[in-house]
Amino acid sequence: MDEEPERAKRWEGEFERTWELLVEDESGSLKPSVEDILFKAKRKRVIESQGQIRLGMMRHMYIVLDASRTMEDQDLKPNRLTSTLKLLEFFVEEYFDQNPISQLGIIATKNKRAEKLTDLAGNPKKHIEALKRAVDTTCSGEPSLYNSLSLAMQNLKHMPGHTSREVLVIFSSLTTCDPANIYDLIKTLKSTKIRVSIIGLSAEVRVCTVLARETGGTYHVILDESHFKELLMYHVKPPPASSSSECSLIRMGFPQHTLVSISDQDSKPSFSMAHLDSTVGPGLTLGGYYCPQCKAKYSELPVECKVCGLTLVSAPHLARSFHHLFPLDAFKEIPLEEHQGERFCEGCQGDLKEQNVYICPSCESVFCMECDLFIHDTLHCCPSCVHSQP
Amino acid sequence: MSVYPKQYAGVNIVEEQRAKWEKKRIRTAKELIETERRYFEQLELVSVNAAKALTVSRRFLGNLEHGEFGLGFENLSSHLHFYKIYADNMENAFKVLQGHGVLEMPSGTGKTISLLSLIVAYQKAYPLDVTKLIYCSRTVPEIEKVVEELKKLMEFYEKMTGEKQNFLALALSSRKNLCVHPEVSSLRFGKDVDGKCHSMTASYIRSRKQQNPGVQLCRFYEEFEALGRQVPLTAGIFNLDDLKAFGRQKGWCPYFLARYSILHANIVIYSYHYLLDPKIADLVSKELAKKIKETDAAKLREEYSQLVQGLKEANVARETDVYLSNPVLPDEILQEAVPGSIRTAEHFVGFLKRLLEYLKSRLRIQHVVQESPPQFLKDIYEKVCIDRKPLRFCSERLRSLLRTLEIADIADFSAVTLISNFATLVSTYSKGFTIIIEPFEDKTPTIANPVLHFSCMDSSIAIKPVFERFQSVVITSGTLSPLDIYPKILDFHPVTMASFTMTLARTCLCPLIVGRGNDQVAISSKFETREDIAVIRNYGNLLSEMSAIVPDGIVAFFTSYQYMENIVASWYEQGILENIQRNKLIFIETQDAAETSMALEKYQEACENGRGAILLSVARGKVSEGIDFVHHFGRAVIMFGVPYVYTQSRILKARLEYLRDQFQIRENDFLTFDAMRHAAQCVGRVIRGKTDYGLMIFADKRYSRSDKRGKLPRWIQEHISDGSLNLTIDETVQLSKHFLREMAQPFRKEDQLGLSLLTLEQLQSEEMLKKITQIAHQV
Repeated sequence: MDEEPERAKRWEGEFERTWELLVEDESGSLKPSVEDILFKAKRKRVIESQGQIRLGMMRHMYIVLDASRTMEDQDLKPNRLTSTLKLLEFFVEEYFDQNPISQLGIIATKNKRAEKLTDLAGNPKKHIEALKRAVDTTCSGEPSLYNSLSLAMQNLKHMPGHTSREVLVIFSSLTTCDPANIYDLIKTLKSTKIRVSIIGLSAEVRVCTVLARETGGTYHVILDESHFKELLMYHVKPPPASSSSECSLIRMGFPQHTLVSISDQDSKPSFSMAHLDSTVGPGLTLGGYYCPQCKAKYSELPVECKVCGLTLVSAPHLARSFHHLFPLDAFKEIPLEEHQGERFCEGCQGDLKEQNVYICPSCESVFCMECDLFIHDTLHCCPSCVHSQP
Repeated sequence: MSVYPKQYAGVNIVEEQRAKWEKKRIRTAKELIETERRYFEQLELVSVNAAKALTVSRRFLGNLEHGEFGLGFENLSSHLHFYKIYADNMENAFKVLQGHGVLEMPSGTGKTISLLSLIVAYQKAYPLDVTKLIYCSRTVPEIEKVVEELKKLMEFYEKMTGEKQNFLALALSSRKNLCVHPEVSSLRFGKDVDGKCHSMTASYIRSRKQQNPGVQLCRFYEEFEALGRQVPLTAGIFNLDDLKAFGRQKGWCPYFLARYSILHANIVIYSYHYLLDPKIADLVSKELAKKIKETDAAKLREEYSQLVQGLKEANVARETDVYLSNPVLPDEILQEAVPGSIRTAEHFVGFLKRLLEYLKSRLRIQHVVQESPPQFLKDIYEKVCIDRKPLRFCSERLRSLLRTLEIADIADFSAVTLISNFATLVSTYSKGFTIIIEPFEDKTPTIANPVLHFSCMDSSIAIKPVFERFQSVVITSGTLSPLDIYPKILDFHPVTMASFTMTLARTCLCPLIVGRGNDQVAISSKFETREDIAVIRNYGNLLSEMSAIVPDGIVAFFTSYQYMENIVASWYEQGILENIQRNKLIFIETQDAAETSMALEKYQEACENGRGAILLSVARGKVSEGIDFVHHFGRAVIMFGVPYVYTQSRILKARLEYLRDQFQIRENDFLTFDAMRHAAQCVGRVIRGKTDYGLMIFADKRYSRSDKRGKLPRWIQEHISDGSLNLTIDETVQLSKHFLREMAQPFRKEDQLGLSLLTLEQLQSEEMLKKITQIAHQV
């Protein structure tokens, strides 16, 4: 009798006021307001990027996923859990794309317990698999912030000082069931320099506010699914490296991928060291990356060598992380009417039609909004600046 | 032979004894005169010091018209950014300086600071016009808050002018809060502390010390007597702790130091009980030794303070120091001589006994009696031949008797004091009071528990002396609506009455009126539907749904303890309570103060550490009146039903009748006024400032009606749109979810600029001034 029958039909769902988002303009048309909403959403992320701040390159992050009863709420479609997992998959991909030499782990919490879904690792595939598997989990009980944070802390506190230690909590519930005083834990987190950021799915909870404020993280509450995605993407970008974090030289290995054809007589299939401790995954392979120090074989990069502890990366990985050290300045936004000069975009060579144009502060080239977004999100350098420099 | 000397000796002894008595009498008489003289001296001092009446100069008003604020404002605004409301308030407060005023403002918008800074600025600009400000608040924490604000203001002055301000402000409280004596301060009850203190500092005890060195005295008081009076308290702002620390450091008694220092302080902050009732300290106990409960002076003020609870009174410019004088008793009583019939002690004791017997006989009845004071006096005269005049002096006579007998611990005599006070009051006032004798309580009609109520129908009697003594009285509160009823009840003519709304950069309050359950059954706490199972279930559903979506703390108010008990019991049976407890912990306010404060503490802890909690409490209870639920301690408040008073109460009936006859206020109007004010009071607990936000859920169909809605304060009313009337639970949940998410978005100071915060330039612009005058809602 306790269990409510599952609400399967749309009309049995909750009452919504979708029309309130839309506002008519003077002529009674809805289009401008819709466009305005879209435009604002696009712009927002760029504006938020700060100027020249050194960002951390190597990150260690645990994602704490709330899998409590409240995740079955249907205010995100089809329900909070499915929607969150889908977005997280996207996040994981994006995360490794932007931070190739970083690592990630996932913790789920429900029934007052916390369990690890995946260990800290630099391989997106494993995480995504785990996330896909998690769709079928039943959500029950209450989450425990304390347990999940202390689990994350146990793993993170041994990480070297030059890397960032982060926890990202996706918190759907409004309550947490803790075995001890969480404020003591917050102090410990602070002293071990673990940064806890929280994305709330329902409303602002006091303890989360304190947690984020004390540990230097951020705390946001989602408005809807697109806002949720935006907030998640906000965490793709590394946090500013704190001045107190250690600077150290790290040894890195750049193994070459050696291809061995089957026809070659000397070739012997061998195990990849990365799969030593996992039962699943490919077995014997022929070629791979060989650690320059100990010659252990790995099938994927980046990875930390299991034998000698050397960080193995490829040059493009490093290069992709490099831009975090020198972020591109935000472009100046001016209305089209005020802009004098050429009426086409420097990037795509198309006509400038939108209400605003964007000007690079250093080379004064003009871009349209699409190009502006592309430059800041993907290229990370102004094409005409690069062009003008010899 | 041997008989004679003995007899002779016996005569001797008697004569010796007589001589002793005579000496003693002379000594006490001297003492009486001495204390009296000192009292008058003090009174004189006060009036000399403070009786500079305030007249708002034309010049000053001229300045105002030109948009130039007084000295101090400019300094303030260049730095702080004005609140818009703050600016409104200032302007109105200026007007108020010419007379009395009533201002309604939502809490946390700078009521205190704007009044303080206005008056301080005025004091600085025209030091001869306004000499003293008395700021009255209700509770000790509130007093502390005011001092805190004042400190900030002074710091700011110092920063801007770069010099030390010669300004003395202090908080005054009872002995219990100020005592530093190691033994006395450890006592738990205010009454005990007062008694103990009295037994160590009274003048006759101190003089006894000279003969008998074994008498224990308070060394702090002695030290203060010896040194403290010569050196006035240095300029500065003193809260209770500062006073204590200062007292400890110097070895002076902080209580007497504070009492002495109010003579030359610029600002005095204390509880309004002092202002309204100087006898409150004596009259702590309402229990009589003979199980006769009487409600008199203390209760009367209590009634009054219930009426104006939440009010803070700031009083500008005074003629005499009320603390030292007695506002209730007319001067002629104090000046007239005690009538002969009770002049000697034996006669007086006999008189008291007779009075007591009479009261006892009156209490031995089977039916309810209601009569006016003249009727009562007539009856008492016929039955036991007690005249009106000696009755009037009863209280004074008893006091002098106790003094003469050198009784140190007055606390033991509280019962007799109560009776004598009753006698004095009943014979002094013929209008505005009623005596009601109830042989049993309404709930238990079989158990005889006679109670004599002496209740004040007219709150203006209590406040009248205050209005008379002070040049300007400003009453401000978050919940005063509807404004026009107050001047009527309190019988005064305000120059300004204004209700301000909050100018908000974001709508941080969300009043919702829930009228129906999901099954479309109307929900209401109306008497007819109160026991309806569907209504109770819907109330339960509402709470359980809200508990799932509101973070941290929820406060729920019921209309009475009894109703709450019934509802909670049936929720338990229906399993709703279990559902709620899955989301949040539940705490319940009870009539026991200790238990409630415990529950409150645990409630706050649960809110703090993320578990979330619900506090079930009662409108008009302790929680609804004095405790703020800032930020996460109250994200939502649910008002189950309309909190009408218990209309069957005889006191209330008598009062309603009186109001109708005297002030032409209809019963229904008053009841609705009272109920809505309490509802507003309850829901107002959650919004304590602009950065705060909270849901206000009125769960009763009747709130949708415009006659009820219209009586809510304007700052709540203006956020009630047609879309938030008569909602179902589902709709409420949906709206709340949306609201909470919106409110959780980051909120920065820059967002408020220009809207609810003004820079100096914006403030001084003509346009803004015009806007401001429009905003203030003049009644």
